[in-house]
Amino acid sequence: MAILKTEDVTRYFGGLIALKNVNIEIMENEIVGIIGPNGAGKTTLTNVIAGVYLPTNGRIIFSGQDITELPAHRRCRLGIGRTFQLARPLGDMNLLENVMVGALFGQGLGQRKARERAREICEFLGIEEVERDVTRLTALEIKKMEISHALATQPTMLFLDEVMAGLNADETMEMIELVRKINARGITVVVIEHVMRVIRELTHRVVVLDWGEVIAEGPYEEVSTNSQVISAYLGEEE
Amino acid sequence: MRNWRYLVYALAVIVFMTLPFYTGVYLLNVAGYILIFMTLTLTWDMLLRSGQISFGIYGFFGVGAYTAVITFLDAGVYPLFSIFLGGISAGLIALVIGLVVLQLRQLYFAIVTLALGGIFMVVARNIPELTGGPEGRVLPSTIFDGDPTKTYWLILAVAFLTVIISNLFQKSRVHFAVTSIRDDEIVARSSGINVFKYLVFLFSVTSAIQGLAGGVYGHIYGFASPEGSFDLNFVLLPMAMALLGGIYTTLGPVIGAMLLGSISEFLKLLMPYGHLLVYGIIIIVVILFFPRGIVGTLAKRFQKKR
Repeated sequence: MAILKTEDVTRYFGGLIALKNVNIEIMENEIVGIIGPNGAGKTTLTNVIAGVYLPTNGRIIFSGQDITELPAHRRCRLGIGRTFQLARPLGDMNLLENVMVGALFGQGLGQRKARERAREICEFLGIEEVERDVTRLTALEIKKMEISHALATQPTMLFLDEVMAGLNADETMEMIELVRKINARGITVVVIEHVMRVIRELTHRVVVLDWGEVIAEGPYEEVSTNSQVISAYLGEEE
Repeated sequence: MRNWRYLVYALAVIVFMTLPFYTGVYLLNVAGYILIFMTLTLTWDMLLRSGQISFGIYGFFGVGAYTAVITFLDAGVYPLFSIFLGGISAGLIALVIGLVVLQLRQLYFAIVTLALGGIFMVVARNIPELTGGPEGRVLPSTIFDGDPTKTYWLILAVAFLTVIISNLFQKSRVHFAVTSIRDDEIVARSSGINVFKYLVFLFSVTSAIQGLAGGVYGHIYGFASPEGSFDLNFVLLPMAMALLGGIYTTLGPVIGAMLLGSISEFLKLLMPYGHLLVYGIIIIVVILFFPRGIVGTLAKRFQKKR
C-alpha cells in the first residue's frame, strides 16, 4: 500500500520552477532513495511534503489523507518526520531536550514521559551522555541527534536529508545500519543522498530528480545505467 | 542547594510583603513604582523568549488604564474589578490583533507593535465623550483612598502573579515550545509545534498582564490621559531592565527592574532627566559586554566553575 502519493506536485519560487509535475508513490515500509544533481529539487520536494512550503499545484496524499493544505506541525503529528540537510540543533537546549521537543509536541507526551522516550531513542541510536551542549557535538553526533529528534515525533515515514554527508567510511557504515534498524521498526524511510554507495546498499528503489522533474525511477541497478540519469549527472556527450 | 534556593525565595517574599511595616511612605511609593516596572519587564521578557520583540507594552498598558478608569467612572464598577477588566480588555484586543500581526516576525512585528501603541493613543485622544479627549479622565479619589500600604500590596499582588506565571511557563511545555520557536521556527514546526498558536497565546497573556498593570497605575495615580498612560517609557525602561538583569529568565527581569529602578530614582533626585542618559549608557554597556545580562553572565560563570 502506498503511504505517500504526490499528484502533479509543482512548486514555483517566483519564476523559477523548483518542482514540475512530480508524481511519486512511496510504499509502506520501503526504503526509497531520492537522488539528483545539486539544485534538482530534492530538498524542495522534502519541504513541500513536510509542509514547510505549500505546493503551487498538485496534491499530496499521506496515509490515505489529503494533506496538501495542512500546516507543517499537523503533518508532523500525522507521522511525517524529517531531518534537515544542514543540521539545525536548537542551541539553547541540551541534546536530550532537543530530542524531547519532538516527543512533547509531535506525540503530545507530558514532560516526564517525553524525557523517558527521548532517553530511549538516544540509547537506540547509541548516543551517550545525553545532557550535553549541542554546540559541541561531532558530525556523527549531530546527525544522530537530528534523527533522534525526528524519531521522537513517532513518525511512520521519515525523510533523511543527506544524513551521511560529512561522515567517514566507518561512520557511514554505522549510519546505514541505523537506518536499517529504523526501517525494521516499521518506519518507511526516504533517504536523500549524494553518496551512491549508500543508495546502492540501502534503498529498495530510487527516484531520480533533475530540474524539478522525475527523470527515472526503479531499483538502483536499473536507474544507474539509465542514459538520461547519466547525462543529468555527467552532462550530454558531445 | 535546591532547598537553599527555596529559602532565599521565601525570605524575599516575606521581605516584600512586610516592607510597609518598616519603611516610610516615600520608599513604599518608590517600591510600588519599581514593582509595576518589574511586572512590565517580565511580560516583555516572556514574549522575547519566543524571539519576538514587542514595543507594544505602552499601548496595552494604556488600554488597561483607560478601561479601568472609564468602567469605574461611567459604569460604577468596583475599583478592583475595573482593574481586572483593564487586563481582560488588553488581553482580548491583543488576541484579535495578534491573529493578524503575528503573521509577522521579529523586526516587522516589533515595528507594528510600536505603531499599535500610537494608534491606541490617537483613538483615546479622539473620542472625548468616552476618554475625555486630550485631557483624559481624572478619578475623584485614588484607590483605597490613597492608603500607601494597601496600594503597595495591590501592586505586589500583580507582581507576584506575574512572577508565578513566568515561572510556570519556564517549567512547563511552554518553555520548550518558545525556546524552539526562538532557536529555529522551521524546526519547531517540523517537531509538531503549533507556532502561531503559541505566539498568539503568549502575546495575549503578556498584554493582559500589561493591561492589569495599567489599570493599577490608573487607579493609583487617579487618572488616564493620552500622554500619561501611553508613555513610551513603559516600553523603554522595561527593555533596559530586562537587558540589564538578564533575558530569557524570571530572575533576570526581577533583578534588573530592582537595580535600574532604584538607580533611576536616586538619579532623578540628583539631576532631573539625567536618569535617561544613564539608561542609555547602561543599555550600551550591557549589550556590548554582557549580552545575557547579570543573571545570564553569573549563571555562565557558575556553570564553568562546576
